[in-house]
Amino acid sequence: MSSGEKFLHLTDYVTDRLNPILVKETRQALKSRQFIITFMLLLTVAWLISVFGVVLNGPAIEFGAAGRMFFAWYVGVLGFATLFVVPFGAFRSMLNERDYNTYELLSISTLSPRQIVTGKLLSALAQVLIYYSAIAPFIAFTSLLQGFDLPLVVLILSLGLLWSLFVSTVAIMLSTLANSRQWQALTTIGMIALLLWQMVTAFAFGGIAISESIPFDNDEFWWGLGSMLVGMGGYLLLAQQIAVSRLTFESGNRSSGIRIISTVQFWLTWVGILAYGGWYGFSNIEGDAVFAFAISASIHWVIAGLIFSTESEHISRRVRRGIPQSQFLRLLYAPWLPGGRRGLLLLTLHLAALIVIGRWSSWPQWIGNHVMPLPVWESWVGDATTALALYVFIYVGFGSAVGRLGQAITPEFRPAHSRVLTILLVPLTIVAPYVPGMFSYRYQVRSGSYYWVTNPFSTLGRISSSNRGWSGSSPEEAQVYLFILGIAAAIVLLVNLRALIAGVSDVLDWPSAANSESAASDTEGTNAVVPG
Amino acid sequence: MIEPVPSDAESIDRGEPSLELRHLHRFFGRLKAVDDVSFKAWPGQVMGFIGPNGAGKTTSMRVMATLDTPTAGDAFICGYSVVDDPDKVRRYLGFMPDSFGKYANMNVVEYLDFFARAYGLKDAERRDAIEHVLVFTELRKLADKSIDSLSKGMSQRLGLGRCLIHDPQVMILDEPAAGLDPRARVELRELIRLLATEMNKTVLISSHILTELGEICDSAAIIEAGQILAYGTIDEIQRQQVSVDADSTGRRALHVRLASVDNLEAATSSLEKWLLEQPMVKDVQCSIGHAMFDIEGDDTEQQQLLQNLMAVGHPIIEFHGKTQSLEDAFMNITKGITQ
Repeated sequence: MSSGEKFLHLTDYVTDRLNPILVKETRQALKSRQFIITFMLLLTVAWLISVFGVVLNGPAIEFGAAGRMFFAWYVGVLGFATLFVVPFGAFRSMLNERDYNTYELLSISTLSPRQIVTGKLLSALAQVLIYYSAIAPFIAFTSLLQGFDLPLVVLILSLGLLWSLFVSTVAIMLSTLANSRQWQALTTIGMIALLLWQMVTAFAFGGIAISESIPFDNDEFWWGLGSMLVGMGGYLLLAQQIAVSRLTFESGNRSSGIRIISTVQFWLTWVGILAYGGWYGFSNIEGDAVFAFAISASIHWVIAGLIFSTESEHISRRVRRGIPQSQFLRLLYAPWLPGGRRGLLLLTLHLAALIVIGRWSSWPQWIGNHVMPLPVWESWVGDATTALALYVFIYVGFGSAVGRLGQAITPEFRPAHSRVLTILLVPLTIVAPYVPGMFSYRYQVRSGSYYWVTNPFSTLGRISSSNRGWSGSSPEEAQVYLFILGIAAAIVLLVNLRALIAGVSDVLDWPSAANSESAASDTEGTNAVVPG
Repeated sequence: MIEPVPSDAESIDRGEPSLELRHLHRFFGRLKAVDDVSFKAWPGQVMGFIGPNGAGKTTSMRVMATLDTPTAGDAFICGYSVVDDPDKVRRYLGFMPDSFGKYANMNVVEYLDFFARAYGLKDAERRDAIEHVLVFTELRKLADKSIDSLSKGMSQRLGLGRCLIHDPQVMILDEPAAGLDPRARVELRELIRLLATEMNKTVLISSHILTELGEICDSAAIIEAGQILAYGTIDEIQRQQVSVDADSTGRRALHVRLASVDNLEAATSSLEKWLLEQPMVKDVQCSIGHAMFDIEGDDTEQQQLLQNLMAVGHPIIEFHGKTQSLEDAFMNITKGITQ
């Protein structure tokens, strides 16, 4: 065998073990006009930067800190390719599969949705690495100049790579959401705007990082960086899972993966906060920071909860086959199984956890014979977090109840309808206290009135200021707000209680896998209920 | 209407069907795109799936191909449910949609190579599969050609090759001959015939070109407004329709051909005169050497008429009941209902 043949066999052997989408997309990309133009443009612009930079600096290049300036320019050029061209290419790549009727061919192959999404992502990564290799000689050139800072270069390039991967994942996720032409057009415009915004933001942060000296010896810096990377990694996995779920066959499980990742993200956040407290002492955890995390968690759960709690209740035989046999395990697993009722249960459990964690400062601890509050963040954080969680529960619980009611009235009522209704409810409750004032000055709801409880921003502002003894408010006021919200949440809970119980009992009552196999043809196969 | 009854094909024991639809329903809101469709097909069988536009052919095929889920009922490919085991179904199924899915910047071999990888073929197995498909579809010479520059006929061959790359047992072809010129159509027809006869595959094919389906299919299912109106072997469907006509009017249509005698015109004229004199014969239509007429009565009257014709001395060389083409059967069976 000649060396050429050996090489071809080796290539075949290696590529056979790679993701087929990666092999295909890399082949296509290397032949595509877009890639060749971007690659040539990158080299040309970097070369021009080098030439003009050297000419403009003149002899000063020997003494000034020109290395950083050159590096900043090269990173800027590289950033355009890796933060705009590549993610947009990944976005278009999935849309093209639909436009050119190849998506169906992919989905009936034995490739799993995860392989498809991962292949697209790996292809984006391969392109990024090619662009990195193109710019590498220029960056090597900066090492010859004054002001070159290797740790900084490694940090910026590594973060750039991860950020590009993250943005590409989000782009792929968004491309799976748009099925119709109109949505595709709309999503494309949104995608371009999003990419431009994130690129400018990334440049701004990159610029600051390059111009300032990075405090590598500061623990806080590493905590911040670590939190950012964990957060980014979590959302990268979530975006990837959403894309996978969107491509999963209808009778498959589209929900559990997203639920599990959301849960892991939630707990990872609090584990991170506790780890920080353990490192620096819990009394050093800023109440504002905890509240900021609680707000993020609430935003996350109001979106996720709204989607989970309005899902169709139908569980295919295929999904049922995968549930555990033991009743205890089923009970534990139930909130992560598909279905709106179990989605609401998952949300309820997480909101309860959020309240418990937020109110950590109220937990008693025994010091000698005395019960003392734990020396953690201030007590207002507990009240504000409780209020936040109650608002999320009220909104999403309302959406879930409306969804079930709508479905009972007509099968035409879809999850999207209840989601839209819930989304509309939020601004309505926000503006509600302003409505009387719109008609008459006499009926304006005065500031501080409990009618403002419908407006979450006002309530949270009052609770946080009342507990901190800020003017015009008192700690008792916060308790009244919480009481009103608690009553509303209890009503929503009562309305949804039967559904919550049914969500779990459904899972417990499902026949075992063996029975469900034998009953298969009697349930969904030949004698399924046909609507209409 | 012909009731979809169990056909000869089902009454013969041919083992397990490789394709089976059981009470398949697919509704879109109030639209019943597929409404209680059931049929079976066996290895080595080419089955036509015939119906007007919007009848539910493509929807049914998409369910079989695991691109859509049924509202109720199920479809089975080699015994695996499309609802419960779509992953297994995909290993045994090749689906060719009505539009050819093209990739940019790719040649014929790369296209096949990608799908071979997508079906999990590795190393020599993959190379052999590609080679086999290139030979079978006669695309060897175009292996390095960009797929963007392929003609419609060649694209369809490539589409067929893609379906075959993992050697599936069942092939579902949605309008494979649409837009092809006559030569490409004939060539594709031959390839499809080979799939069943030489490779023992089950082929379900939909097409609007019924004359062609009649030539390559050994069975068919006629669907309209989401419901199967007729199902069985091609012969059964054609004969069944004639007998339905006979049952409803009490007549049967017959055709007689005369031998090429010296004075054929006179012989035809004599035959016509004789036929008109027979009380059970109606609606006589003659052209030189041919006579078509209806006869009121059953097999006994028909037998008696033939004996009399021969006894009188008419130079008869053909005497048979009128058969109808698949196209005739289709037109008679369907009512032109659109949803």
